Amino acid sequence: MEIQINNLNKSFDGKKVLKGIDLNLKPNMSNIILGKSGCGKSVLIKLIYKLIKQDSGIITYNSKEEVDINKFAMLFQYGALFDSLKVWENIAFQFINEKLKPISQLKEEVLDIMFNLGLDSENIDKYPSELSGGMKKRVALGRALFKKPDVIFLDEPTTGLDPLNGELINDLIVKVIKEKKITAITITHDIKSALKTGDQFYYLEDGIIEVSEKCENLLKTQNSKLNSFLKGQV
Amino acid sequence: MVFFALVGKLFLKLFVSLGKIILFIFLSFKYIFYPRFYFYLNIKYFLRILFSSIPIVALTAIFSGMVLALQSYTGFSRFAAETAIPKIVVITLTRELGPVLAGLMVAGRVGGAIAAEIATMRVTEQIDALKTLNTNFYNYLVTPKIITLVVAMPILVTFADIIGVYGGYLIGTLRLGFNETVYITNSIDFLSFNDYFSGIIKSIFFGLIISLMSCYNGLYTSNGSFGVGSATTNAVVSSSILILIFNYLLTELFF
Ligand SMILES: Nc1ncnc2c1ncn2[C@@H]1O[C@H](COP(=O)(O)OP(=O)(O)OP(=O)(O)O)[C@@H](O)[C@H]1O
Ligand SMILES: [Mg+2]
Repeated sequence: MEIQINNLNKSFDGKKVLKGIDLNLKPNMSNIILGKSGCGKSVLIKLIYKLIKQDSGIITYNSKEEVDINKFAMLFQYGALFDSLKVWENIAFQFINEKLKPISQLKEEVLDIMFNLGLDSENIDKYPSELSGGMKKRVALGRALFKKPDVIFLDEPTTGLDPLNGELINDLIVKVIKEKKITAITITHDIKSALKTGDQFYYLEDGIIEVSEKCENLLKTQNSKLNSFLKGQV
Repeated sequence: MVFFALVGKLFLKLFVSLGKIILFIFLSFKYIFYPRFYFYLNIKYFLRILFSSIPIVALTAIFSGMVLALQSYTGFSRFAAETAIPKIVVITLTRELGPVLAGLMVAGRVGGAIAAEIATMRVTEQIDALKTLNTNFYNYLVTPKIITLVVAMPILVTFADIIGVYGGYLIGTLRLGFNETVYITNSIDFLSFNDYFSGIIKSIFFGLIISLMSCYNGLYTSNGSFGVGSATTNAVVSSSILILIFNYLLTELFF
């Protein structure tokens, strides 16, 4: 899906967070959003997902302003797992409610996806409060992937994971995007992961898109703001 | 000038909140009739409400019934009208104390828990997550609570009535020297169906008030864990006040 953003503005309590974002997200590609903490990355993807409303500006999806957000899926920055439900009920949440498949089949599919995420099958009946931070993140990723979305929004998928599991998740993301030909919009602070999983990147600073480039050119950038951001990072 | 600006701002804020509440109530009712329905949630909440509220409702009811008998004895013995005690106890309980006390207890116990649950879901983005999983917030979280509270409150109030009358009976027979059968026949003969029915109507309104106020305060929360605390307090305080106001209005209007 091609997503175009024109002059997008958003403020909270009079404080401007996004000040005229122009962005053209490439269909069936991995789009990476970079930027300092607090610069509005999470706000931006929630606006694209229509979870919150912009103050002004237009977002079009395949040239139309309307979109069926059930084609989207999101990994939230802090997981946003349902506390009162078990791991498998979280992952299969939408499908349990929609009653389109028998529970036994859903459980099989949940086990499959947990295996791909490097989660032990013994965790299937645990509650989120019994999991570590990194495990929660992977369960949340599992929940987003389980929908088989056309567009997936990932808010810091590898933050809080050890290098080994981070690598596993990166590989999985690349595999899903390439195999299923979906559009991914990923926020990350992890430059290595950006280089590995991304096709195109966008650097956000002071409420506007400062740089928009191919990921392979990320480290060769001439932009001074992005350069100082990267120097702090690498 | 500053003063007028302040007053203006305050009124603006008031109207915005009022608009938000009205919209919220409208949507809550709309989704009672719009699918998707989560019947298993109704049953789950219903059982949880009954089990968590029955002990505190029973305790408040029995002591209120007991003190009611004692106090009316103090009053009525002055003009040798002690025989009125069973009637006073039963009518006060079914018309007033049963529904109001059960309402206040459930507001504290259940309303507070609902507000805390929804507020936590709000600040941890679980409400947003519901939306991303094609699940309507009202269908999944609000209407099951409205339905179960509206069904559970009359049951709890009936229970409170019975326990309260039993409390009065205990004091009447053990402390005030009433004959057991006389006390019971006196209570039952005097009670009209309208007395009980008016309490039940009230309890349905109170169930609505508690579910709507706690869901609303939970939904419109902010400021992290601090917000969860104030959402809970606001839910309990606003439903308690509304229960007392509506109790008066309903009595004035209909009974
Ligand atoms: N619901 C909200 N109410 C008020 N302010 C908000 C809200 N959501 C975000 N903000 C503000 O918007 C700004 C951007 O927040 P956002 O969460 O998008 O940052 P971010 O770029 O994702 O940062 P991080 O990398 O730390 O996650 C912050 O200053 C934040 O305080
Ligand atoms: Mg963020």
